[in-house]
Amino acid sequence: MAFLEMNHISKAFGGEQALSDVSLHIEKGEVHALLGENGAGKSTLMRILTGVLQADSGAILFDGIRYTSPTIQEMEAAGIAFVHQELNVINDLSVADNIFLCREKKNWLGFIRIKEQIALTRKLFSDLGVNIDPEAMVSTLKPGEKQLLEICRALYMDAKLLILDEPTTSLSSDEIERLFEIINNLKKQGKSFIFISHKMPEIFTIADRYTIFRNGELISTGHICNTTVHKLTLEMVGKTEIIENEYVPRTLGEPFLELSHLSGKGIEDVSLTVRKGEIIAFTGLNGCGTNELFLTLYGVLPIRGGSFMLDGQKITSKNAEFTKKVSGLLPADRMDNSVLPDLNILENFGISRHVLRPGEFFLRKKADLLRFNEQKQAINIKASDTEEGILTLSGGNMQKVFLARLLNAGAGLLILDNPTQGVDVGAKEDIYKTITALAQRGKTILLNTMEIPEVIKVADRCAVFCEGRLAKVLNHDEVTEQTVMLYATHAVEQERENDHP
Amino acid sequence: MKKHEFLKTAERYWSQSSYIVVLLLTMIGYAITITLGGNTFKWSHIVAILGSQNTCIVGTIALGMALVIITGQIDLSVGSALVLCSGITIMVFNLTGSILMMVLAALGSGALCGLINGVLVGYGKIPPFIVTLGTMLIFRSVTLSVVRDIDPSIAGSSSSQFAMITTLEKYDLVRMQFGVGKFSLGSFQIPYITIVFIVLAILFSVLMQRTAFGKSIYAVGSNEKSALLAGINVTRVKISVFVITGLMVGIASVLQACKIGNVTPASSGQSYEMYAISAVVLAGISMSGGKGKLQGVIFGTLSYTTINFIIVSIPELSVDIQDTFQGLVLILVILVQSVAPAVRSRIQRTRKHRQLPE
Repeated sequence: MAFLEMNHISKAFGGEQALSDVSLHIEKGEVHALLGENGAGKSTLMRILTGVLQADSGAILFDGIRYTSPTIQEMEAAGIAFVHQELNVINDLSVADNIFLCREKKNWLGFIRIKEQIALTRKLFSDLGVNIDPEAMVSTLKPGEKQLLEICRALYMDAKLLILDEPTTSLSSDEIERLFEIINNLKKQGKSFIFISHKMPEIFTIADRYTIFRNGELISTGHICNTTVHKLTLEMVGKTEIIENEYVPRTLGEPFLELSHLSGKGIEDVSLTVRKGEIIAFTGLNGCGTNELFLTLYGVLPIRGGSFMLDGQKITSKNAEFTKKVSGLLPADRMDNSVLPDLNILENFGISRHVLRPGEFFLRKKADLLRFNEQKQAINIKASDTEEGILTLSGGNMQKVFLARLLNAGAGLLILDNPTQGVDVGAKEDIYKTITALAQRGKTILLNTMEIPEVIKVADRCAVFCEGRLAKVLNHDEVTEQTVMLYATHAVEQERENDHP
Repeated sequence: MKKHEFLKTAERYWSQSSYIVVLLLTMIGYAITITLGGNTFKWSHIVAILGSQNTCIVGTIALGMALVIITGQIDLSVGSALVLCSGITIMVFNLTGSILMMVLAALGSGALCGLINGVLVGYGKIPPFIVTLGTMLIFRSVTLSVVRDIDPSIAGSSSSQFAMITTLEKYDLVRMQFGVGKFSLGSFQIPYITIVFIVLAILFSVLMQRTAFGKSIYAVGSNEKSALLAGINVTRVKISVFVITGLMVGIASVLQACKIGNVTPASSGQSYEMYAISAVVLAGISMSGGKGKLQGVIFGTLSYTTINFIIVSIPELSVDIQDTFQGLVLILVILVQSVAPAVRSRIQRTRKHRQLPE
């Protein structure tokens, strides 16, 4: 008998079968990767496991106890903890306060014994090898530290099984390494993990076994050491063969964007020329300034020094609004920065064009619908009713709608900040294909990404940033994970300094 | 399955148009109180509701307030701004005797009040609650402090109020024919100022649904950051809704002048900001922004006035208790709106549970 057994679970929403007769077995002390595209049924199964949803049929056996329709409280008490993708920590409280939230150590008057809490937190952290100050305010922590804090909180509640939902999306590679170290330590202590991620390299580093879902059905399960990335991807996507769109060099046009000594929030003295029709990737560690550079180029963050030429127009701090007419931004974190939750799909799609290219005073829905259907075909958006709210779409489709929003506004320069973040494999392919096709049609594309395979797939050049400065521009054939890391971590300059003291 | 689709459409429609039901219920309540009082409920009762200053003046202000609230902000200064603008409107009429000048002065002073709020919010980055709380105090106090020092021949009165001079040539036209006059079609009569309000409401409704500006207002209230990154000039949208609210206050000042003929800085327009907010809330517009229909404001305002009329028509109740009932009804309506979905899903869950084979 396994540590956790979920047997023959089925669940339907309305008429749609979200899970049909799936099973999941987790052993004690293993890291189990749960794989599948968005909408495959992973989150539904996890919500059933944590008591948020009730299964229509099937049973859960955890730690020797049988549960038929458990509540959230029951599963928490049993030792199952869900560490969410979005960080559920309270920014305005201290680290220790967050650990003890809702189970504070109190004296007889009901006041919190702060010193005891801090001491206990310190002990917990040193046991786990976590290096965070228990008295620090959570708002001052880096995303990686917040993620660790959340895991620590779950462990303090004596969790035996931790569900990590894409825990590495907001972490730098250093932080990921530390997280994995801690997971490995905990594994030895007998803790189990369900690891949900779209990133294959990570899965092969950390997971012991895997289970793949597709369209609410169990596709396969087995040991990671007996499979390959290619095989897993095939099983997730369900196509017999994935078309690897290999990089093909294109002929580039005139310079379209020229940065000269551009400085602003988080960026220093950046000079770079991008030609029409070029795809240039920007990469670096978390907080290296690429995100800020994109917001500056879009005119949202102020220009503090220098200027840039865009489509023959010189942009300084005085006319930064102009950039919006020529360029379009697809921001990172689509839930925070792209979604207009109260507007329907069509309105979400049309808003940029309506604002930036005002035509007739009264909007015409028919024209909008026509333009939407055009984009829908071009980038393969799956949306049947455009009157539905934007939030009814899956992550990948939502992202495609926002990409369509920029294209519809007629931007010549596309500034794409992590366009494939939290998007499933199928939608990722669609987005790559669209990016390449757009470049062929003469759009200039800036792409911010931390995933090097993505860079190799589409980019003509790669600009590596380090601490707000442009460290190096690599040509397509120079790009490898190692070279990028060398420049991104400052290693190259340090070596040089060591050579010539 | 067909039935399911039908229910879904019905539910979508209900969630967008609950304001109609609210109005119907209050109307029925009013009809009952009239009948119990020994009278018959007639069209003239409804005309009284339509023509009351609560409907027309508060309603006109509420249209602007609705835009401000949809962007996720608030304007507390409208009541005081109304007093200030009405004072200016009446003085300009007394000085010039011209309707055109009076209207221009009203719109100009209203827009200026709104612009002050908007610029402080948009460029000063001060929360709208604080800005308009400040201007609420300022606008009324400025009016109060000057009213006594102004020559009675301009203010139109020597008893701390602004009044239109009755001997002016156009007085009869603006007051008697337009202000309290009614448009008649056979036996149906509707006050002219109500027509102004309803036409404005329809214009606003079209503006919000059919123009890029309207969509921007919803977008800013829905998610300000997304709106900014989608290319919307958020600051300009925020400022313009305050200016539009100011313009509405200006039009309301004209209505105040025409309907009432005077304004008393110490007491007129008291709590109008709260009445306008209540009307917006009864119109089904979300206080957190991003959601709501402008045509709802007609219904919200009428519901609000009707509640007033019900209370007034019960002789046992004193006028002082009026606000208590208004407050209660407001809370009750919102409670029903927010609790109903939760109850509905609870019922659906238990029903599904029962269908499950054991």
